[in-house]
Amino acid sequence: MSRVSEIAVSRPGLKKGPETSGLAGLWQRQRTPITRTAAALVFLGVWEWSVRAGMVDPLFLSSPTQVAARLFQVFADGTIWPHLWASGVTAFWGFFLSCAVGVPIGVLMGRSVLLRDTLEPFIMAQASIPTVALLPLFIIWLGIGVSARIALVFVGAVFGIVVSTEAGVSNIDRRLIETARSFTATEWEILWKIVMPAALPYIIAGMRLAIARVLIMVVVAELYASTAGVGYLIFQAGASYDTSMIFVGVVILAAAGVGMNTLLRAIEWRIAPWAGSRE
Amino acid sequence: MIEVREVSHGFPRDGHGGDMFHVLDDVSFTIKDGSIVSLLGPSGCGKTTLLRIIDGLIRPLAGEIRIDGTVVRKPATDRAMVFQEFNLLPWRTALRNIEFAAELHGVPRGERRGRAENALRRVGLDRFANYFPHQLSGGMKQRVGLARALSTNPKSLLMDEPFGALDPQIREIMQIELLKLLEAEGKTIVLVTHSIDEAIFLSDSVVIFSANPGRVISTLDIELPRPRWSNDEEIKASEAFVRYRKILWHLMKEQLRTSNEEGRA
Repeated sequence: MSRVSEIAVSRPGLKKGPETSGLAGLWQRQRTPITRTAAALVFLGVWEWSVRAGMVDPLFLSSPTQVAARLFQVFADGTIWPHLWASGVTAFWGFFLSCAVGVPIGVLMGRSVLLRDTLEPFIMAQASIPTVALLPLFIIWLGIGVSARIALVFVGAVFGIVVSTEAGVSNIDRRLIETARSFTATEWEILWKIVMPAALPYIIAGMRLAIARVLIMVVVAELYASTAGVGYLIFQAGASYDTSMIFVGVVILAAAGVGMNTLLRAIEWRIAPWAGSRE
Repeated sequence: MIEVREVSHGFPRDGHGGDMFHVLDDVSFTIKDGSIVSLLGPSGCGKTTLLRIIDGLIRPLAGEIRIDGTVVRKPATDRAMVFQEFNLLPWRTALRNIEFAAELHGVPRGERRGRAENALRRVGLDRFANYFPHQLSGGMKQRVGLARALSTNPKSLLMDEPFGALDPQIREIMQIELLKLLEAEGKTIVLVTHSIDEAIFLSDSVVIFSANPGRVISTLDIELPRPRWSNDEEIKASEAFVRYRKILWHLMKEQLRTSNEEGRA
């Protein structure tokens, strides 16, 4: 990096880098954040303007300022917390269980051809069922409540984690396993010192994909089997034509999705820095 | 002493047994303690398979390996392998890659670090202890691979084309460094190579293999003076070296010719 800029600087008539300052320098260093912010501002501006100019009925579209005011209000008066808590509990346990079950199954399938060939059609069948169709069944088994919601989230998210874990485990460089064997590794040591670290980037990628499914399933489950939660809030707001409140829910869900993804990405960078350099 | 006794091995051609593809056919020879022996032959002669059989990674279909009189059944701590593709764990630093061997050998935690640091110093990479493999050059990676094997203080070192993935000049430098590091150690070294010059320069004796299936066709003792690393240029230009190369090339050429014709048939 530094070498490249040295060469650039040493070439006559081509002065760049440290010299530029002020707005031009800011643009050079922060181009993407600037364009992103600009895009968001344009979008929100057009939205706000079209409502204020009377082009769209605020009942259909609300407006960014109304949504922001509402968002501030629900946090200020505390009415949002029970909903966040309810959705958070469902999301957390659903996600946790799908990892706790999905990762071991994926590892076993990746390590044993027999097991993979046996289970693969069932896993595929499970993946092709629209998960929502199972909710009535969970309600019958578990009652209308948090257990049924967690079950739905679990079933929706576990597939992706199994598949990506299995891919990570079966793609392991066999030479590394042979190397460990040559240094007298036991099967258990191969699992913990070779298989798991090698599969970790895949497992985290699977978790990131699963996050999106978790959010979908939380909202769907709350539609039918809840009296609280962000999804519940959205549907209640819809029933009473409270457009601003719908957007408040959507913004919270989007923020949760982006936040979780960023967190997992940060974890991935911390514990698997070698994986990034391969791309 | 490593004894290779009437070893034959093969792989099923279609994955179901029955029709076998023979890679080794009735191979026997003996390696004295403290000597450096090269297994030389065209690719496909089973020399790499034989090295894995000696290590205990593969069980031969027939015959056996004895090390100091004991039959080899699985890998053990008295020998260590160095691999052509280095086989370092990408998620571990150079130092932690070396510690990996000691971990698997059950060396206590406190002792591992010191051993690994020592091994890294011996291969001249102490400054790179915290580098990850993808940050190291090929030659450096193989030094780490060598340090990993040496850190366990094995009685014998099994090297599978250890410099085959390096460019020619680095390869020669690594050969010199290997001798410098080990010439006084008295370790037994079994080296798989397809480079005639490498085999002559490093070895006390060379075992020459035919291909398809691998058989021992000849053994040549290399009587060049040691140490060889301090005056490698003279040794490589010496009359004896040239004579050995002529003998080996003659034998190899015949093998390459026959295996080539078989390939065409």
